[in-house]
Amino acid sequence: MGNCLCKRKREPKRKITLGIFGLDNAGKTTTVKVLAGDPHTETAPTVGFNQEVIGIHQYDITFYDLGGGKKIRDIWQTYFPEIYGVVYVVDSTASDRMDEIKENLQMLLEDEKVSGKPILLLANKQDQETALDEVDIMEQLNLENTVNINRCPCRIETCSAIKGTGRKIDPSIKNGIKWLCGMIDHNWEKFHGRVESDMEEQKKKREAELEARRERVKKLREERERKERE
Amino acid sequence: MGLLDLIRKLKSSQDKELRILLLGLDNAGKTTLLKKLASEDVSHITPTQGFNIKSVVSSGFKLNVWDIGGQRKIRPYWRNYFENTDVLIYVIDSADQKRFEETGLELSELLEEPKLQGVPLLIYANKQDLLQAAQASEIARGLSLDTIRDRKWHIQACSAQSGEGIKEGIDWMSTVVGKKK
Ligand SMILES: Nc1nc2c(ncn2[C@@H]2O[C@H](COP(=O)(O)OP(=O)(O)OP(=O)(O)O)[C@@H](O)[C@H]2O)c(=O)[nH]1
Ligand SMILES: Nc1nc2c(ncn2[C@@H]2O[C@H](COP(=O)(O)OP(=O)(O)OP(=O)(O)O)[C@@H](O)[C@H]2O)c(=O)[nH]1
Ligand SMILES: [Mg+2]
Ligand SMILES: [Mg+2]
Repeated sequence: MGNCLCKRKREPKRKITLGIFGLDNAGKTTTVKVLAGDPHTETAPTVGFNQEVIGIHQYDITFYDLGGGKKIRDIWQTYFPEIYGVVYVVDSTASDRMDEIKENLQMLLEDEKVSGKPILLLANKQDQETALDEVDIMEQLNLENTVNINRCPCRIETCSAIKGTGRKIDPSIKNGIKWLCGMIDHNWEKFHGRVESDMEEQKKKREAELEARRERVKKLREERERKERE
Repeated sequence: MGLLDLIRKLKSSQDKELRILLLGLDNAGKTTLLKKLASEDVSHITPTQGFNIKSVVSSGFKLNVWDIGGQRKIRPYWRNYFENTDVLIYVIDSADQKRFEETGLELSELLEEPKLQGVPLLIYANKQDLLQAAQASEIARGLSLDTIRDRKWHIQACSAQSGEGIKEGIDWMSTVVGKKK
């Protein structure tokens, strides 16, 4: 994907991972698509894991795009240790879901693996007449309070993900991402160190869990095969 | 960058034949699913001893689907079919919660196979007609899908018996392979 010709001139690209979160129908997958320069086409709800590696400025950014629906949301947590920052997408026309969004955002930022990391809030779907503006959204989400309590540097951008793709992407999205990367870059040692140690911790936990699982499956299998023989 | 992308796109849009590998434990419903996909009768299906292959045209792709038997003594032969796989479909019996961990373990081993590296993974959570729709996040945890980082995955609830949900899974597949590197 990267252009080899200019690599020589630049410092090695910085690799960062961003988590893109928000309720179902917010526009997460659409946002990732237009950031990657893919044509905007109709999306289906995500019930799984989608990732894109996108070169923006001097960064190689891996975006983790997960489903926001109630039935899949619970898995977000597994990804928190690995992310340097959060892109949180809000459907600005969903005025009847602002309480749900508020709670979801609180849950996210309160998590000890997320607190302190920078968050870009994209108030999406501004092309719609019924879209709330940024002041209303900040108020209804109690944003100031939530980010302050959890020491998350925050920026809010109003945008429309369907406006354009690639170079024609809504400049608010691009500016927001640039800000997010800048925040991470500015405190690189701190964020990078934190991600590395959190990932190490997670790896150990996972290995122990896998071992326990192997044992359980072995037992179940033996039991079943014994019964089959009887 | 522009040119390379263009070449890649042209190539992938001509090359619409896909090799799909259909795996999962015995009794998961793989053969039923394959027959349903091919609009065949699904009332007399017996456990697969070797493999079945069918070509099906769907969502603008020609899908060559390989369905391999899932009984424990056959599983070691799965590896003979890994080469050149475009999408891995893994079928689970959503009603058989007792075997979630076992099927998850088999899947983890599959995903470590070098030949399947990066291959997109579609999970059919089958037999939804038998139970209250299982929560996708429970399946994701039970099968450790949430530890996967090297490929895209998607859970599709379905019933191979009625055919419900099968098309949606194939649609997901066609959106990810369109972008295959
Ligand atoms: N009008 C308008 N529609 C948008 C915008 N962004 C996304 N959409 C539409 O909103 C719907 C949901 O978009 P997705 O990107 O799939 O939403 P998501 O956040 O990924 O949803 P889940 O995967 O279910 O969590 C789609 O129909 C999009 O086309 C926007 O800026 N304006
Ligand atoms: N209720 C219900 N039963 C199903 C469904 N799909 C498959 N079955 C039944 O499950 C049993 C096993 O189906 P198969 O298609 O043979 O399973 P398989 O995965 O091919 O099994 P192996 O070939 O042994 O690996 C059969 O009795 C099917 O009728 C479903 O969606 N709902
Ligand atoms: Mg999505
Ligand atoms: Mg079979």
